[in-house]
Amino acid sequence: MTNARMELVCPAGTPATLRAAVQAGADAVYCGFRDETNARNFPGLNFSGEELAEGVRFAHDHGSKVLVAINTFARVNDVDLWKRAADTAAECGANAIIAADIAVLDHVAKNHKQIRLHLSVQAAAATPEAIGFYANSFGVRRVVLPRVLSIQEIAALNRAIDVETEAFVFGGLCVMIEGRCYLSSYATGKSPNLNGVCSPPEMVSYDDEATSTAARLSGFTIDRYEPGEPVGYPTLCKGKFKAGGKTSYLFEDPVSLNAGGMIAGLKAAGVTALKIEGRQRGKGYVTEVVRAFRKAVDAVEEGGDAIEIDRILAGQSEGARQTAGAYSKKWR
Amino acid sequence: MVTGSTEPTLPAVVRHLFPTIAGLPLGPLLTLSLRSLAGRQPRLFERLGEHRSACYFIDPVDLAFAFTVIPDGERSLVRVVRKSETATSSVLIRGPLLTLLGLLDGTLDGDALFFSRVISISGRTEAVLALRNTIEDAELRPADLLGLHGHLARLVDRGILGALNVARQMTDRNPGCEAPEA
Repeated sequence: MTNARMELVCPAGTPATLRAAVQAGADAVYCGFRDETNARNFPGLNFSGEELAEGVRFAHDHGSKVLVAINTFARVNDVDLWKRAADTAAECGANAIIAADIAVLDHVAKNHKQIRLHLSVQAAAATPEAIGFYANSFGVRRVVLPRVLSIQEIAALNRAIDVETEAFVFGGLCVMIEGRCYLSSYATGKSPNLNGVCSPPEMVSYDDEATSTAARLSGFTIDRYEPGEPVGYPTLCKGKFKAGGKTSYLFEDPVSLNAGGMIAGLKAAGVTALKIEGRQRGKGYVTEVVRAFRKAVDAVEEGGDAIEIDRILAGQSEGARQTAGAYSKKWR
Repeated sequence: MVTGSTEPTLPAVVRHLFPTIAGLPLGPLLTLSLRSLAGRQPRLFERLGEHRSACYFIDPVDLAFAFTVIPDGERSLVRVVRKSETATSSVLIRGPLLTLLGLLDGTLDGDALFFSRVISISGRTEAVLALRNTIEDAELRPADLLGLHGHLARLVDRGILGALNVARQMTDRNPGCEAPEA
């Protein structure tokens, strides 16, 4: 085991959620601006510059850090929007910028040396060579690991690099190589990589039909639900489709990640920070999840056993079936 | 997960305390309240962006009438309407009154209620999302809507939220209350 205490990094989609996460025990919160520069560009979500400055003050007053996600990929001839976002984050006193685009990383490295650079999961850097490139070129201090590595692979990776690693432990799960998913673009013309939004809500509809409710994205039926059956948000990778005469979740079952039982393993593998997904979720949800993971991380740090951790995290779910993803190496 | 069939609705005796649609002063009062809130907290409405001009049809299924709300800051407009007057609305939100009030004061999770179908939503999803995120961030208390401050505000909040809690407990004990037809 490493000696340093692991950092709990929590989502904040709005100023109210930032305060809730900090008060629930987040060591750090991550958030983004109200535009295309971050990968959760949904209506009504995110921060203005003024709100970020207030959020940073609140977090710092309570001993927490603020990490600002500027992690979409800049458009040709329009890099200034991303550069301005980085400048604003630095002016607001954020502790780190989470970025994936080389232009953004370069801008921060050259102009804001006081601020830490974290490599976004959107960069999909999963080898010592790739991570070494970002560390040597831009001074990246931490890499958010793509959700395709087993714990053994993370341990091997950590032995080969000298930057911190951050691993997702809870929340929504993408099945594609992060930052390279074009499914949403095919259906809607917009993608998480460029526009910061997968399945943009203006193209989502729920249509009540004779015997079911159809969830559609840009007119494509993604799933159907019987009366009374819980519905889901229509994302292509978790849709139900007919292929070869059989209807099934063709790409991936609609499951979410819960690696709560693997916190000790991730610590032993040398992981510095644990990340909870969900900037689109409300403050009630964030409070509950952060509080549970705070207790679980503290218990691991104090040598608690697996049974105790399971008991603390019992009942934590996104309302969907759960998986330990690639950490348990049952797929890939 | 909670399902729509077990979600408590207003007891019949409480429903009958509400007047019928004719002569209700609720629309002008709520309009005034919303405009006054916008004057005090303009930033709250900025979060809605372009969706502040959207018309939201709010249908408490256990009341005999519905509301339309255009949350356009100091030009906001709330009207009490018949349940059939949906034609001009961008978004329709339906659910038990106590649940809808729980969304407003932040005690209930809108995502969970929608995905478990306790509330139903149709129309422009992006406008719903903008409203949901705005309300989430607003952390509104009853006194905010009434424009009250200080000791009086705390007193009113305690009273109204306490009454809502009692109503929820009552309905929890009487889950079989039948909702009127929407």
